[in-house]
Amino acid sequence: MISIQNISKKYGLQQVLDKVNLEFTGGQSIALIGPNGSGKTTLIKLILGLVLADQGQINVQNCDISLGPDYRKIIGYMPQLSRFPEQMKVGQLFSLIKKIRSDIAQNEYDLSLYNDFGIAKMEGKSLGALSGGMKQQVSAALAFLFRPEIIILDEPTAGLDPISNSILKDKVNEARAQNCLLITTSHILNDLEEMCNHVVYLMDGKIVLNEEMTSIAKTTGEAKLNKMVIKFLQNR
Amino acid sequence: MQNISYSIASDLLKNKAIFIYGSLLAVLGWGMFLIESQPEKTILALLQITLIVVPLMTGIFATIYYYNSAEFVQLLLIQPLRRSSIIWGIFAGLTSGFVLSFLVGIGLPLLLFYPTTASIHLILSGIFLSVIFTGLALLVSTHQQDKARSIGFVLLLWIFFTFIFDGILLWTMYQLADYPIEKSILFVTFLNPVSVARTLVVMQTEAAALLGLSGAIFQDFFGSLKGSFIAILALIIWGVIPYLFIKRKFLTRDF
Repeated sequence: MISIQNISKKYGLQQVLDKVNLEFTGGQSIALIGPNGSGKTTLIKLILGLVLADQGQINVQNCDISLGPDYRKIIGYMPQLSRFPEQMKVGQLFSLIKKIRSDIAQNEYDLSLYNDFGIAKMEGKSLGALSGGMKQQVSAALAFLFRPEIIILDEPTAGLDPISNSILKDKVNEARAQNCLLITTSHILNDLEEMCNHVVYLMDGKIVLNEEMTSIAKTTGEAKLNKMVIKFLQNR
Repeated sequence: MQNISYSIASDLLKNKAIFIYGSLLAVLGWGMFLIESQPEKTILALLQITLIVVPLMTGIFATIYYYNSAEFVQLLLIQPLRRSSIIWGIFAGLTSGFVLSFLVGIGLPLLLFYPTTASIHLILSGIFLSVIFTGLALLVSTHQQDKARSIGFVLLLWIFFTFIFDGILLWTMYQLADYPIEKSILFVTFLNPVSVARTLVVMQTEAAALLGLSGAIFQDFFGSLKGSFIAILALIIWGVIPYLFIKRKFLTRDF
């Protein structure tokens, strides 16, 4: 579904991504991990078209993303820090985004997270008055609202309470079962372990690991993702 | 695309600062006509207000708004929208908000109490100045990461165009009085949208003394009708060119 070919990106003198090649398909749930500053968010922003590559090409469903914005119709994105216009009300935000996405009919919305997080109760509140976790809930509900085939979650579980956390995980697993492609970054490996079946490890802008979770488990002989990663890094 | 400009414009009209701006203009516009019995004098007072207040307020508000809407822009960028329609939405939304405030505050009383060609030219100048200074503010903001620096730079531009420009021009003319520089001065006049806007209005009134140096040369050279046509053309160009640079930057930058 997503094919990343030879992508490089520099910020000033710093090489954030260095000739990265990746192929992702439906049914995969990717755990995108790596130390701080390894280029995870930049990689995600490149896929979303927020950041433009210096070199290389990204195809989403065989379509070069530099050709136009329509490919974003099938992508849902939950950003690392959910920042919204402060004065806007939650209800206004949803109706604005629904207006922009008029290609999706009213009865096709996926309202499960909207309902499970009780966002209807927040509708009258302004976004500036929401707590960090509530903003994350709004953000997650928006990411899944239009039934995207590709869902990108950047540190999704950081601000969520345990119940919301498990609601979101269930949602991710459900989407994967429906053959969606999910890409999740997080430093909380326990969370990733429950949501992902494939690991991509980025370090200094390069991919050092790109394998199915089960096969890493076999080669390292570990069952826990954090132990697998540590062992893998020690063996390198 | 219309959704974005519409939602920005309506967001802006709900903004306290723009409400204060609109009310300030309304108090001045409506108040002047109610106090002053000679409308010929009032229009000149309103001209000064338009030339000074409109560029300052639109420039500063547009800059602040651009930085404060960073989150909103991020949210729009991840939707299936073209970057070009997003920046057009911001530009169109901001300018329509400012133009509307100006029309209600200054335009409406002018049309009601003093419906002349001079008034219409003043309304045109006000609209153009709103568009031009929104453009300049966004031009600075899109090229500069830091909000405070941008505000400072926009203020400098305002001071330069409203006060310093004519001074430099006068000084240059005085220094080069022995040479035939009229035509080059005429060309230089076009480099200041505020002078062009002032000339456009004053040419329609009896108050030639207010033309300023650049305006006097301008009228002398073109005469009234051709003069206003060329002035309007210059103001359109001043509105379009910053936008082209804003768009180019917005399409190629990282967020």
